[in-house]
Amino acid sequence: MTTLLDDLLSMQPEDIWRRNERPDADGLRDKAQIYYEDVNEGDELPKYIYKPTPTHLFRWSAAIENFHRIHYDLDFGLNHDRNPSILVHGSWKQSVVPQYLKDWTLPNGWPWKARFEHRAMLVPGDVLIMWGRVTSKYEKERIGFIELEIGMKTQDGIESMPGTATVVLPLRDGPPIPYPFVPPSD
Amino acid sequence: MTQQAPPPALTPEVQAMIGVSGDIVESWGVVDGEYMRRFTQALMDPDPRYWDDDFAKSTRYGELIAPPIMVSYLASRIRPDQDDPITAAFEENPESDGIGSVERPGELPPVPTNLVRVLNAGNELEVYAYPSIGDTIFFQNRYSDIRERLGRDGTPFLIITRETRYWNQDDVTLCITRASTIRR
Repeated sequence: MTTLLDDLLSMQPEDIWRRNERPDADGLRDKAQIYYEDVNEGDELPKYIYKPTPTHLFRWSAAIENFHRIHYDLDFGLNHDRNPSILVHGSWKQSVVPQYLKDWTLPNGWPWKARFEHRAMLVPGDVLIMWGRVTSKYEKERIGFIELEIGMKTQDGIESMPGTATVVLPLRDGPPIPYPFVPPSD
Repeated sequence: MTQQAPPPALTPEVQAMIGVSGDIVESWGVVDGEYMRRFTQALMDPDPRYWDDDFAKSTRYGELIAPPIMVSYLASRIRPDQDDPITAAFEENPESDGIGSVERPGELPPVPTNLVRVLNAGNELEVYAYPSIGDTIFFQNRYSDIRERLGRDGTPFLIITRETRYWNQDDVTLCITRASTIRR
């Protein structure tokens, strides 16, 4: 049972961090399938908590070969771009989204699509909460579609990435979800 | 004296850019385990589907997979057999931000507008298949949509959406990304 987003936002940052529900490798290996029938409107997804540091930011810059100085050069960020600090990458946030949807739909569901906006500058020291909530569900061609509201909030409740997503879950007695994924015809 | 309405932002020349595509680009190199290790560790995604061969064989995919969005970064790697635009950008301007003046392969022609201020208006991601180790990645950019909107002061601005499709050597679409920008 996940900690509710509203409850997390009433906590101190260190208490939010203790509620981190990001799975480890074994948790992902042994993940039990969530079926369409298990999901109800209003359900919340597990909360992934992050505490990005300058090292995390530099590691991401290096991994994707992003040389934009606002992410690792504090002097440039403060004095050239007038940012409050070095900034957490939008590219990292948008890479967390498919990871988050993949993890929730594993092992046989599908993280089909998402759309989101980047708002608010995130900086080292922020505690970030990746969250999702079921807004509706429907069945088509004997597979289940789940509509989600998603986002990444700061410890202060500022929404930095409001968005929506559609994921696909199998029915208990339904066929496997096609792979590569083929959306149903309208 | 009546105030003249500002000129439209969505001119016929701008509208003609909808559907314009860039070159098809074959990425340098292939999807490889070392690139994926660095990517997934930086992402903080420990999924054994990315690194545990034996486990991966037991999944529905039957092999190691890679994060779908990883190909969008892998595809922007600069080929070692061409001039390095990163080095050139910093040589020309030591105060370069490291990104603004760097030309990437497959870029789209600019939209002919005098609106120069660029703001991020959102992203979309559609995932169809996971890349495999050894895949060659191809991609193509396209202006999928350009719309005009009015600001609070009645001044028109543009929302420009650039779509990028990524596929592999078997012509399997892996993912589609869309990045929208506001031009004011």
